[in-house]
Amino acid sequence: MILVFILSVAFGFLLSRSGAADFDVIQQMFLFQSPHMYGLLAVGVGLTAPGLWLLSRYGRTLTGQPIHLSAKPIHGGSVPGGVLFGIGWAMTGMCPGPILVTLGEGKIYAFAALVGAVAGTWLFGVNYVRIQRYLKLPNLTTGTGAG
Amino acid sequence: MILHNLEPWHFAVAGAGIAAITLTLQAVGNRALGVSTGLEEICSLGSKAPYFGRAELREHWRLVLFAGLICGGVLSSVTSGSWQWTWDAGLLDTRLHLDHASKIAWFVVGGLFTGVGTRLAGGCTSGHGIYGMARMQPGSIASVLAFMASGILTANLLWRVIAP
Repeated sequence: MILVFILSVAFGFLLSRSGAADFDVIQQMFLFQSPHMYGLLAVGVGLTAPGLWLLSRYGRTLTGQPIHLSAKPIHGGSVPGGVLFGIGWAMTGMCPGPILVTLGEGKIYAFAALVGAVAGTWLFGVNYVRIQRYLKLPNLTTGTGAG
Repeated sequence: MILHNLEPWHFAVAGAGIAAITLTLQAVGNRALGVSTGLEEICSLGSKAPYFGRAELREHWRLVLFAGLICGGVLSSVTSGSWQWTWDAGLLDTRLHLDHASKIAWFVVGGLFTGVGTRLAGGCTSGHGIYGMARMQPGSIASVLAFMASGILTANLLWRVIAP
């Protein structure tokens, strides 16, 4: 848990200083006014990919435990969920990580985004069994996936 | 320019940093990076709904992740100037001139879309965009294409049509 905390602080600091938690930088990405965020995501994915591949081949963590890699199969929520999230990301200029980062930076409206995001998650969770059939979602114990 | 009028880090440095964090979390902590499931962990604290009782949420490690992200934001702000509460939201201010109440409403509504959307899709920019894309997971590729297309459409509609 100490490791998780240290990495999370580093992640938050990095999201702040890289512009990934900045309203205007996110709009510039969506408006194709700057290649910055596309470059960031490409380098991030490009370097993470071989690392995770090697770890999956090795099969263990560096402390010797069997590794648990997360699989993300496609399901009925993948595309509609993405569409809704895209609207939210463009409106607020924050994806979930930066909601917390900007809160730390002192942006008051990040509270509002966090309240909205938790309320949206709650709405989704309490209605899961009701919408599961129509949207072809995985069974409840699996959920839509961790991410 | 970002916080306190700083220039953002070079994208390659930032991208490499994100990869290093994702890989260390997996290689040492044995956990897959993903922020949005933490929203479910918050709900699991106060809701008895079966969906929030899933085994995935029981460890609550993402609450530590949330606390760390907030601290990272504080640290970034403090080390680059003076920390203070602010309402500044860049383009949103210069184009829409919202008063404080309307701004809160705007961000609550946007947050609702993000909350429902990321949980329906099973991930956000970190879980799908970085981790899932790096593993070429079909669900992540579908979600990333959907949220990038939708974000591009929404932003263009907002800043080039509605409030140019």
